[in-house]
Amino acid sequence: MSSITTKLIIGATGVLLFAYLILHVIGNALIFFGPDLFNSYAHMLLSNPLVVPIEIGLVVVFLIHLVKAITMTFQNQAARPAKYAKKVAAGGTSQKSLASSTMILSGLALLIFIPIHVKMFKYGPEYPYGASDVRDLYRLEVENFTSPLVVGLYAMVMVVVGMHLWHGVASSFQSLGISGPRFTPLIRKVGKVSAIGIAGGFIVIAVWVFLFGARS
Amino acid sequence: MTLDGKIPGGPISEKWERRKFENKLVNPANRRKYEIIIVGTGLAGSSAAAALGEQGYRVKLFCILDSPRRAHSISAQGGINAAKNYRNDGDSIYRLFYDTVKGGDYRAREANVYRLAQLSVDIIDQCVATGVPFAREYGGLLDNRSFGGAQLSRTFYARGQTGQQLLLGAYQSMLRQVDAGNVTLFPRREMLDLVVVDGQARGIVTRNLITGDLERHEGQAVLLCTGGYGPVYYLSTNAINSNVTAAWRAHKRGALFANPCFTQIHPTCIPVSGDHQSKLTLMSESLRNDGRVWVPRKKEDTRPPEQIPEEERDYYLERRYPSFGNLVPRDVASRAAKERADEGFGVGETGLSVYLDFKEAIDRLGVETIRARYDNLFEMYKHITAEDPYKVPMRIYPAIHYTMGGLWVDYNLQSTIPGLFVLGEANFSDHGANRLGASALMQGLADGYFIASYTVANYLAGASLSKVSTDHGAFKEAAATAQARIDQVLRVKGTRTVRQFHRDLGHIMWDYVGMARTESGLNAAIQKIRALRDDFWKDVAVSGEQSNLNPMLDYAGRVADYMEFAELLALDALHRNESCGGHFREEYQTPDGEARRDDDHYSYVGAWEFTGVGTQPVLHKEALEFQEVRPSQRSYK
Amino acid sequence: MPAKTITVNLKVWRQPAKDQPGRMVDYVAKDISTDMSFLEMLDVVNEDLIRKGEDAIAFDSDCREGICGACGCVINGIPHGPDAGATTCQLHMRRFTDGQTITVEPWRAKSFPVLKDLTVDRSAFDRIIASGGYISAGIGGAQDANSILIPRSIAEEAMDSAACIGCGACVAACKNAAAHLFTGAKITHLALLPQGAPERALRVVRMVGQMEAEGFGACSNEGECEAVCPKLIPISNIAKLVREYTRAWWRGTT
Ligand SMILES: Cc1cc2nc3c(=O)[nH]c(=O)nc-3n(C[C@H](O)[C@H](O)[C@H](O)COP(=O)(O)OP(=O)(O)OC[C@H]3O[C@@H](n4cnc5c(N)ncnc54)[C@H](O)[C@@H]3O)c2cc1C
Ligand code: FES
Repeated sequence: MSSITTKLIIGATGVLLFAYLILHVIGNALIFFGPDLFNSYAHMLLSNPLVVPIEIGLVVVFLIHLVKAITMTFQNQAARPAKYAKKVAAGGTSQKSLASSTMILSGLALLIFIPIHVKMFKYGPEYPYGASDVRDLYRLEVENFTSPLVVGLYAMVMVVVGMHLWHGVASSFQSLGISGPRFTPLIRKVGKVSAIGIAGGFIVIAVWVFLFGARS
Repeated sequence: MTLDGKIPGGPISEKWERRKFENKLVNPANRRKYEIIIVGTGLAGSSAAAALGEQGYRVKLFCILDSPRRAHSISAQGGINAAKNYRNDGDSIYRLFYDTVKGGDYRAREANVYRLAQLSVDIIDQCVATGVPFAREYGGLLDNRSFGGAQLSRTFYARGQTGQQLLLGAYQSMLRQVDAGNVTLFPRREMLDLVVVDGQARGIVTRNLITGDLERHEGQAVLLCTGGYGPVYYLSTNAINSNVTAAWRAHKRGALFANPCFTQIHPTCIPVSGDHQSKLTLMSESLRNDGRVWVPRKKEDTRPPEQIPEEERDYYLERRYPSFGNLVPRDVASRAAKERADEGFGVGETGLSVYLDFKEAIDRLGVETIRARYDNLFEMYKHITAEDPYKVPMRIYPAIHYTMGGLWVDYNLQSTIPGLFVLGEANFSDHGANRLGASALMQGLADGYFIASYTVANYLAGASLSKVSTDHGAFKEAAATAQARIDQVLRVKGTRTVRQFHRDLGHIMWDYVGMARTESGLNAAIQKIRALRDDFWKDVAVSGEQSNLNPMLDYAGRVADYMEFAELLALDALHRNESCGGHFREEYQTPDGEARRDDDHYSYVGAWEFTGVGTQPVLHKEALEFQEVRPSQRSYK
Repeated sequence: MPAKTITVNLKVWRQPAKDQPGRMVDYVAKDISTDMSFLEMLDVVNEDLIRKGEDAIAFDSDCREGICGACGCVINGIPHGPDAGATTCQLHMRRFTDGQTITVEPWRAKSFPVLKDLTVDRSAFDRIIASGGYISAGIGGAQDANSILIPRSIAEEAMDSAACIGCGACVAACKNAAAHLFTGAKITHLALLPQGAPERALRVVRMVGQMEAEGFGACSNEGECEAVCPKLIPISNIAKLVREYTRAWWRGTT
């Protein structure tokens, strides 16, 4: 498979994961409206028969993104066996940043985070919400975010997510060959704004839950 | 030896047709049996390799640099002429022919020039077909600009990178043949000798510039496309690796060298700033379309240009040559600049420059138009001088740029050694004593794409070629000669570097054999060259070894050849007691300082036969006959 | 700007030959005029070395005006040095200060093996072009040049990409030593023109195949290549490469 195909795959899966994150953060934000709304939204999602195939799809997309990125990293390193004694970023129009240079690291960090995250939330304790068969995810969320340590660690991971998106969003579109004199500057801005929006959103939600969640 | 130009009979417009018909052909099935050696991958070499490869010959292609794309042709900026008459401004094949013969000051062979003008039309078609992105008008048609020596627009261009785009077009066509298995590339090889067997060119000896090994290559014909010898002047607009070595060593093997003193000085180059300089940068002639050349009216005026009012400026080209103005041919513009500087009107720290001013054009056309036309040249200028030509006038001065002289060839581009063909700037053929702008690219591609494949086939079909292997005595002898020369250079272990010698040679050449030559100066130059050459062999310092990549060793070999060749150049200039084109002898000028030709005595090609280093070469003359264009005093007034 | 004289401290990669170990060696370049180009400064250093009987630093150069693409080294960590839109030969010493330390290294990539010192083998680029970077127009049979109308904007866009000088700085700058900008520029140039259209699909498939076979890396979309490109060729050429490649795949070209 050519590196272009590889990057097409990474780009396409990246765009899907990006779209998922947008939905995820919007969904989470419903927590501001209190447990009723939040839990019924979650119930609506969980009771949908498509949820299993979608979840499996998501895992597959994630794994493809990951595996392709890892193998590509090894190939890329092989392309430059001898390193420079001194190498700096070229500046100017270059998009190189701390974020772009650490994509594989931020990605691997998320690989560690995601199982824990899924364990904490999806496979966490199942509290019923009221008398119905609705699960009280609101309560779970509040319980999970009672420890400042957890909130702090979570916020750090979200910074990593933000970094990954900082470069990843625009990069995905470039990898898909979607580019243009108007589009490219726009998607670069959109990428950075949404990186801040998504990471910031998750952090704000966590902090809000930590501070005010128990009151509702 | 009588020099037979082998010009076909018939009216001038039918000569090439006639020759194509007379030529013998090689049956397509037989072409693979022939191996053709092409040295050089500039426009001439790459296009010849593409053409011959496409015909089905097996081509071996050699160049000095790491990639064939990096031949010196890549740096041509301004454009390429063609008699397309797309502008409906009076152009025709005949007029391009006429302009070129006149521009060459009646020292070129009419039949060759006519063929060049005819083929110019096909060249543009061919280049467009291979994807050369020439400049276009809004309607999608090709755009043209004017160049010196012409009163119409016939120059096709691709920004300021025409040579690059044409060369890449030829390079790509050539690589297509590599892909097809017809052309084999030999980069980083320098030809050090020509192998002649039974009087026929049968191969070359090259040095592999990475391993240092001498290699022998056999073939049934050898095409030299090795470019010009401008760097005999040390500083020139030519690429650093341009050299006379291949041509000179072929000359030593019997190929006559024609008109070496016809060298061209380009009027618009960035002036010399110091001794450290390794080359001079051309500012394309096309700039004279919109730039106006001037100097202050007051001697040694040190005011900055913007403070010199209009009435105190001398637009000397417009003053002296009202009908061509800033677009007079190169030799005329160069001498006019030198005249002003010699009189003390030059500008800049050294006084050795004149202004090329775009203010009027920017005011008239707007800065965006000027940017679209010349931005890369302006940028280049800024990189070198740290001055912004959008704001202050450029400073320019003449510099060595092109060499009209070269190995003598007949109408078929064959040298005096059967089987040795010479194409492009390396031959002497089409430009007489002065080349018009935008016509070297035209010649390189005409020779390579459209002429060589016919005439080489004719040679191969007609020649009786014995079987020769690289173990043949002639190969051994040539390799031994090349090796001996390398050993000699490495043995000296002196104190002065090759560059120092080269620079000294350049000073001699520029001072005595440059823009203005005199008998006494030329005699002095010959003595100085000989003395310098002796010093070279006693005192040159070359470090490193042969068996490795060693650019200094390569350089030493080239400078050694320049040392020998320079003498021939000066001798040729000395013998030609007239002024014509780029050859200006102070003794022979009109009262108002224009060149005075002597058609009664010098209307010939002077082709020199090698007799030994430092011994008088033998002059052979090919008389020039002008049946179409009557030689007259050139006038651009 | 009047010229000054400065002294600079060089750290230069010296490697005697291919596949041999190399190291950074210190040199002092004294009395350097700020009007000199970077390569002229190296010439001066070499003159000294030769006079001392030492091997000169090997580097490629030819045109010395930024068009042939022969020159190129990584100067203080940036291919072709600090000036945007310029080659190493166009870099002038006025960009440096007296006493400054300058590191000078060759392009580094598996596909560009070092031959000696600062000289590398870039023949991989020729092989990429040979695998399809051309238009198969036989010599002699072309129609009149003006019979193909090409809008000015398209011609200019094609020229922007065709301006590539094949220096290899893009590969040198890329953290993955990818050749996508080089390949993409040629693909874009030829794909934009009507003359190049018939071979579009096969061309991109073959050129990308060759690019991969040479061992260049993948594109991480950082755009370092664009920033160091002496001809300022943008990475939109890489996006175009991807589109051409996808288009060829869609049409089943292999
Ligand atoms: C700055 C500049 C601008 C110019 N602008 C224009 C212009 O606008 N229009 C125009 O018409 N002309 C222009 N010219 C002139 C024109 O570029 C050249 O005359 C022309 O390109 C020469 O082409 P060529 O193929 O004969 O040789 P070159 O392009 O010089 O190629 C020579 C080839 O021979 C190889 N070679 C040389 N010696 C050896 C050896 N010993 N062994 C092996 N290989 C060898 C080299 O590696 C190279 O590949 C310009 C010239 C200069 C210097
Ligand atoms: S030497 Fe030609 S680009 Fe630098």
